Amino acid sequence: MATEVHNLQELRRSASLATKVFIQRDYSDGTICQFQTKFPPELDSRIERQLFEETVKTLNSFYAEAEKIGGSSYLEGCLACATAYFIFLCMETHYEKVLKKISRYIQEQNEKIFAPRGLLLTDPVERGMRVIEISIYEDRCSSGSSSSGSSSGSGSSSGGGGAGGR
Amino acid sequence: MPRSPGTRLKPAKYIPVATAAALLVGSSTLFFVFTCPWLTRAVSPAVPVYNGILFLFVLANFSMATFMDPGVFPRADEDEDKEDDFRAPLYKNVDVRGIQVRMKWCATCHFYRPPRCSHCSVCDNCVEDFDHHCPWVNNCIGRRNYRYFFLFLLSLSAHMVGVVAFGLVYVLNHAEGLGAAHTTITMAVMCVAGLFFIPVIGLTGFHVVLVTRGRTTNEQVTGKFRGGVNPFTRGCYGNVEHVLCSPLAPRYVVEPPRLPLAARLKPPFLRPELLERAAPLKVKLSDNGLKAGLGRSKSKGSLDRLDEKPLDLVPPLPPKAEASTFGSDLQTPRPSSAESALSARRTSPPTPAMYKFRPTFPTGPKAPFCGPGEQVTGTDSLTLGDDSIHSLDFASEPSLDLPDYPPGGLHAAYPPSPPLSAADTFSGALRSLSLKAASRRGGDHVALQPLRSEGGPPTPHRGLFAPHALPNRNGSLSYDSLLNPGSPGGHACPAHSSAGVSGYRSPYLHAGAVGDPPRPPPRSFSPVLGPRPREPSPVRYDNLSRTIMASIQERKDREERERLLRSQADSLFGDSGVYDAPSSYSLQQASVLSEGPRGPVVRFGSRDDLVAGPGFGGARNPALQASLSSLSSTVSRAPRTSSSSLQADLSNSSAPGARPASGSHRSPARQVPPSPPGTPCSPSYVGPKAVAFIHTDLPEPPPSLAVQREHPQLKTPPSKLNGQSPGLARLGPAAGPPGPSASPTRHTLVKKVSGVGGTTYEISV
Repeated sequence: MATEVHNLQELRRSASLATKVFIQRDYSDGTICQFQTKFPPELDSRIERQLFEETVKTLNSFYAEAEKIGGSSYLEGCLACATAYFIFLCMETHYEKVLKKISRYIQEQNEKIFAPRGLLLTDPVERGMRVIEISIYEDRCSSGSSSSGSSSGSGSSSGGGGAGGR
Repeated sequence: MPRSPGTRLKPAKYIPVATAAALLVGSSTLFFVFTCPWLTRAVSPAVPVYNGILFLFVLANFSMATFMDPGVFPRADEDEDKEDDFRAPLYKNVDVRGIQVRMKWCATCHFYRPPRCSHCSVCDNCVEDFDHHCPWVNNCIGRRNYRYFFLFLLSLSAHMVGVVAFGLVYVLNHAEGLGAAHTTITMAVMCVAGLFFIPVIGLTGFHVVLVTRGRTTNEQVTGKFRGGVNPFTRGCYGNVEHVLCSPLAPRYVVEPPRLPLAARLKPPFLRPELLERAAPLKVKLSDNGLKAGLGRSKSKGSLDRLDEKPLDLVPPLPPKAEASTFGSDLQTPRPSSAESALSARRTSPPTPAMYKFRPTFPTGPKAPFCGPGEQVTGTDSLTLGDDSIHSLDFASEPSLDLPDYPPGGLHAAYPPSPPLSAADTFSGALRSLSLKAASRRGGDHVALQPLRSEGGPPTPHRGLFAPHALPNRNGSLSYDSLLNPGSPGGHACPAHSSAGVSGYRSPYLHAGAVGDPPRPPPRSFSPVLGPRPREPSPVRYDNLSRTIMASIQERKDREERERLLRSQADSLFGDSGVYDAPSSYSLQQASVLSEGPRGPVVRFGSRDDLVAGPGFGGARNPALQASLSSLSSTVSRAPRTSSSSLQADLSNSSAPGARPASGSHRSPARQVPPSPPGTPCSPSYVGPKAVAFIHTDLPEPPPSLAVQREHPQLKTPPSKLNGQSPGLARLGPAAGPPGPSASPTRHTLVKKVSGVGGTTYEISV
């Protein structure tokens, strides 16, 4: 009970969001959904490169699985055709299932890995699958080692509000 | 159908879909009611069954094509486009399977459109894998519903064939009583089917070809891959499979509220350095083996001095001149090196420390960091000697900063102690520095070799540090602007300001990075509700520095004015035909069209955005508009020179009548110094949208100025219309043009111009 569990939306309003990093899509293989695994410099002091890359690679593999053209997608298409697409009212498509899986994975990653480091991943679906948004929160307790110079600026300006919110 | 916020119900846009639905349902019902009973008896009961199933299929696909979200992208959140100003490039290039594809900034949706995405003006949305906007279903056809549209076409074709065929059978068997009700109705149904037969079959065939080639209608019509390679194709079978069998993509616009994401964000946060607890960075001294071979290099003076250095661990203090010589060497080639030099001089203690330190890396890169005795092999090490020496010495600087500077000081990206992340940043810095050095010397990639043994992605760095890279901003680097909001295009080194490099920027950047004006406070944002509706962003320009453009423009203006002076007598109040616009226009036209839309390698064209900008009100000639927009899309892929002339020619030719009225302004206007040179367009020339857009709120005199300024574009092809003058940005997307001094009424000439895709437009000149 002593620990504070904040709803993410509340956090975003009351916590001191320092900055956001956007991991863009990697189009080198066409329009399939995959994200760049390049490590953004802002996260340099916030999270280990390995963890970050692993997360992005896992997400990429999920998306690849979602978009895979295989037996299941073919069957789904046939079934949909046969039922004049009424099946879509009842059943969840393969992609949607994988998206739910992704959403759970992201949440789990947030809880276990990112939030303890003051970061939050946003599900790319909310951004139209164009970017992975990583929100970097300011670490007010360690004053000198903020990840970017301006975050201390924003921290001081919103510090009052943030402190009040807590 | 997804409707963007703010659109009201417009009955007119429902007419085609209502007609199509009515015809489809009505004709088929009549067929079933009047023709099928006899066919069931005479031919087979399978006939109505077959036709019934087919008709259901048609209806289902029609409904899906009509009501399904085609893959609309939601508007981007405000936080995502920090570079929402006129310095940001209009286009961003991305590499798709080895082919450069251009992503355009969408001012409405606030992001760079992914490849194959396009903004539908009817729906006012960016649609993924945009095919076209179909009025018959009153919906965009995009990634999610293309399959249903394609199947609709196929099934409709089959259905029509069936209706016509069976109707024919019926009629032929009832030939004696053609006046009978059933027969008449059957014939009427056959007529309707026959009427739409050719267009539907034609469209079906067209889409079959598109599917097998893996193109969208948009790409085919705009000729994107004409004569080029389509990077999105998966082979014929793969394309068909992708269309028919791929999983249904999700909707982006509205997601169901997800599980409430509960995550604890409680500082103190973990940090990599705290977790690592590694030993501090070793300071390895002196000889790295390169110095032994230095005598042979064709080096500058500083290198010779390096040669003289004793190889012991504690070298004596060299004369201060050393550092300055070194610095001056650095300063001459490029500003980027100057920055490093400045920081070197600013931050480094006397030079011996530079020789002292050779950072150790966990991966142990090979030469030039090899220890004493190990050698970078002979001459190739020395050919890169210049680069690597300099880069090495640059690279050694960060270490100096570490012990000397407080953590929050210069570069916040360098945490004080952490070895691992520091090593990473060092490697990043080394990479980038050596890359910079390499690029300075014209892209000597040999210098990259030794450093590539570091982990991480050297390739993107290399691409970014290409010697003649425009200071574009990659999407992945959007956070760069967060770090250095004031600095985007200002320096030669591209915007990949990795944290490792930030310490090497010039002092003004340091000040900028550290003592920034506080970032705009984080706006409230709810992921579930989505971003708030936003206004279109300002126009972006794809071009070089503003000052260069401005100076070029000024020079052209001056030349033009002189020429005008000479030809003033005839052109002033005379016939509008004085313009050699038509002839040059046609010439330009021919050249542009003959070049055709190339592969998407060329990256010009803020013009697209200009032409497509809002506030174009009152275009005289809709055909002109249409031609302009289609031409501009072609034009943007044509070389800048001809396109700019074309644009100007169009603007000139469109409103000859304005000339006499503005002629009176000519003399006073000539004295007026050209205002910030922007695109030379005039509000009185209401034809091109770009024109009106640019000068929407300027008063009367500017038209004449603009008139003069247009001539540069007329006469001098190399002029550039990609204005990024502050004047343009200032004007912004205001309302329609001021009342033109003289409404352009004269149509001396009507030109037939063939646009892309074989369409013909009439343009009055």
